[in-house]
Amino acid sequence: MSKLRLNGVSKAYGATLALRRGDLEVAAGEVHVLMGSNGSGKSTLCKIIAGSVRPDAGQILINDKPVTISGPQAARVAGIGVFYQELSLANRRSVEENICLSALPVKAGLFIDRQALKARAARYIALFSQVAGEGFHAQALVGNLRADQRQLVEIMKALASEAPILIFDEPTSALDRAQVDRFFEILRGLKAQGRGIIFISHRMDEITAIGDRVTIIRDGETIETLKLSDIDPATVIRLMVGGASDMPAARSAAPAVVETQAKAAISVRNLSGKGFRDVSFEVAHGEILGLGGLHGQGQSALLRAIFGANPVTSGAVTIGGERYDAKSPRDAIRRGCAYVSGDRGRDGVIRGRPIIENVTPIHYLRDRLMIARPSRLRNKAMPALEAMHTKFASLFHPINSLSGGNQQKVIIARWLIDRPDVLLLDDPTKGIDLSAKADLFALIRQLAAEGLGILLYSSEDAELLGNANRILVFNGGSVTRELTGDDRTRYNLYQAAYEAA
Amino acid sequence: MTSTTTDIRSFGAGGFRSWLERYPFLPALVIIVALLALNGIFSPNSLSFRSLTGLFSTYLALVMLAIAQTYVVSAGDIDLSAGATLSLVNVAIVVLMERWGGGAGAVLLALALGVLIGLACGLVNGLVVAALRLQAIVATFATSIFFTGLALYVMPVAGTPAPALFWRTYGGRLLGVPFVFYALTALAVLLFLLSRTRIVTELLAVGDDQQAAYQTGLPVVAVRIKGYLLCGLFSALAAFCLTGDTASGDPLVGGKMTLYSVAAVVLGGSALAGGWTTVVGSILGALTIGLVNSLVFFMGTPSEWQNFVQGLAILLVLMAGVLAGRRAHA
Repeated sequence: MSKLRLNGVSKAYGATLALRRGDLEVAAGEVHVLMGSNGSGKSTLCKIIAGSVRPDAGQILINDKPVTISGPQAARVAGIGVFYQELSLANRRSVEENICLSALPVKAGLFIDRQALKARAARYIALFSQVAGEGFHAQALVGNLRADQRQLVEIMKALASEAPILIFDEPTSALDRAQVDRFFEILRGLKAQGRGIIFISHRMDEITAIGDRVTIIRDGETIETLKLSDIDPATVIRLMVGGASDMPAARSAAPAVVETQAKAAISVRNLSGKGFRDVSFEVAHGEILGLGGLHGQGQSALLRAIFGANPVTSGAVTIGGERYDAKSPRDAIRRGCAYVSGDRGRDGVIRGRPIIENVTPIHYLRDRLMIARPSRLRNKAMPALEAMHTKFASLFHPINSLSGGNQQKVIIARWLIDRPDVLLLDDPTKGIDLSAKADLFALIRQLAAEGLGILLYSSEDAELLGNANRILVFNGGSVTRELTGDDRTRYNLYQAAYEAA
Repeated sequence: MTSTTTDIRSFGAGGFRSWLERYPFLPALVIIVALLALNGIFSPNSLSFRSLTGLFSTYLALVMLAIAQTYVVSAGDIDLSAGATLSLVNVAIVVLMERWGGGAGAVLLALALGVLIGLACGLVNGLVVAALRLQAIVATFATSIFFTGLALYVMPVAGTPAPALFWRTYGGRLLGVPFVFYALTALAVLLFLLSRTRIVTELLAVGDDQQAAYQTGLPVVAVRIKGYLLCGLFSALAAFCLTGDTASGDPLVGGKMTLYSVAAVVLGGSALAGGWTTVVGSILGALTIGLVNSLVFFMGTPSEWQNFVQGLAILLVLMAGVLAGRRAHA
């Protein structure tokens, strides 16, 4: 009997299909693993089951009865408990309140039954009492806990739903070995009770340790469901990558390794900070260095730290032979460092302001402009925008009137008025369309040819393989492998990324 | 409260911080004591039982309004119409009491209706902000104008007196104890009960992280509306206290109190962004504002300088609170 079944579920955001076709069947008493690369649609699939995203088409069946899940509340009633990857905790509430938050026990229909709440929370806290670590207790505020302890609270919260169907979206990313082992013991107990469990993780060893079956999802489509006991990790990776896994991807497109010149554009020595540690590399003038690996393994943290937006704890950065420690982005910009983030809304776009104001802030800073004439600025801004093939009606239209791709072009154009020496690209193509991507990479290569040192992090492996001269693969905050020359294949990149940390 | 061994240990390490976490209104309490001392220095008489009773009966309305504001702030919202709601209830009950003859029955009936009016104002705000998803700060500013308009329709000119029975009771004594203290006791019990309700915890969870609360399965819209209903209720209670103190109706009386109520919430140690509030702090914050005002008076500040000194004093108090908070979070 199947606990949960999805038939042809799909979801589109505007023109982009987040999930083309999702078919999934979870049986009672199994741990069903979902695997797929970044942006393949795993999270969308989970959010549809959890009720926080509504599908455009398709059918959801629970215990073979069709249901509509209109929201998280409805999902809870339908018997679905969720561990959210980004955690759904109230940081200023206590551990016990968080565990019971979705269904606070009440007496007289009004007052919280503190005794019942404590007793209920204590049951789940006791499950992890051996491994929770110092400072973890029922009354502790969640915001004061360590990352792994917060993750445990989210696990307890999901368990406290006592739902027959449980979804765990990357529940182990911050946990240590002992905590994972304890969690798996509990999962095995739940399996024995006949619950259906969906499990997402990027650690291959964990998947083989706990999973019964695996469904592979690629480009928004569920490809295949297999028994984990029948297959080896290499097969799983091959399925995730698709047919052309052994071919060196886009080799004709990827430029050859640049000979290291006498002076590196930027060199990083044993750099450590929040989210990454002991990273060393050199980028030559004219070189594009790719940062690969799974999402959130320290790539963005490293780029932000070089740009002075995050603190560095130890190590050194040299730009053009000179020691460089940016204490703030302002500092970094003055020294010729440029940073383009995929999170335009947070890091780039000045919302509601005209395009010209969005192109020129860096120019203001680098040229110490106090008063500017629009006509002069225009002459500077236009070539930069044209280099990017940016489409816009007038420089004085608000930036919000542009599409995501054109907004990103404007953001990149702001760095081109005064040439930087080093360009840091932090997943720059997130959420922009294909033609804009093509324009962007054409420009990035041209900039490299003109002698800039470029650091490129991308969550899409094809972009790295097609553009980077070398690729550093990140895992758990440090570089675990360097891919050069003919080693730059899809297969190698996946394998390095999915290696157990 | 169960105090575990870990609690005791944490007192040793970051003692001040954990104290502040448990009692976020501590800085406000220290400031209150300091202000009382200053008041005592400038005018020893101001610390007499009579003066303190007077302070309470004058500022109980602001205390109530600050409590009202606290519940919406808990959920990360704000209510800029709290003062207008107060005005509307104030003029409505005064007119009704007068029209119905000013007897005990008329007073009680008018008060019951006043509570309903307050709740109705809260419901309007809740629907506009939570259900229609308009910006709380602008939407409640708009409803405040709307409520003021209604108040002006009910009573175009200030000055209609409240029945003697009402204000004599409020300002008088019962069994030798000033009525205000009964009101304070009842308020304390009410707040204690409210603090144990599910809705207060849910409000705080919503204010902490609305997306997380939604994903947890909390009815976020309903919770926020309930926050505004509580705000409306306490705004009505504030109107009762104000009517008892001023003994008359005034359609514009509450306007300037709105931002005082917001200031009181912040002075009390609550986070305006939501998720971290304390009603006790808000009460102390409101009393701080009252004490600052009386201090300015007792210091013998010339009348044309009173606003200046008052503003400066509130800024200083705010700064002291922020500095204490920053030390705790460092």
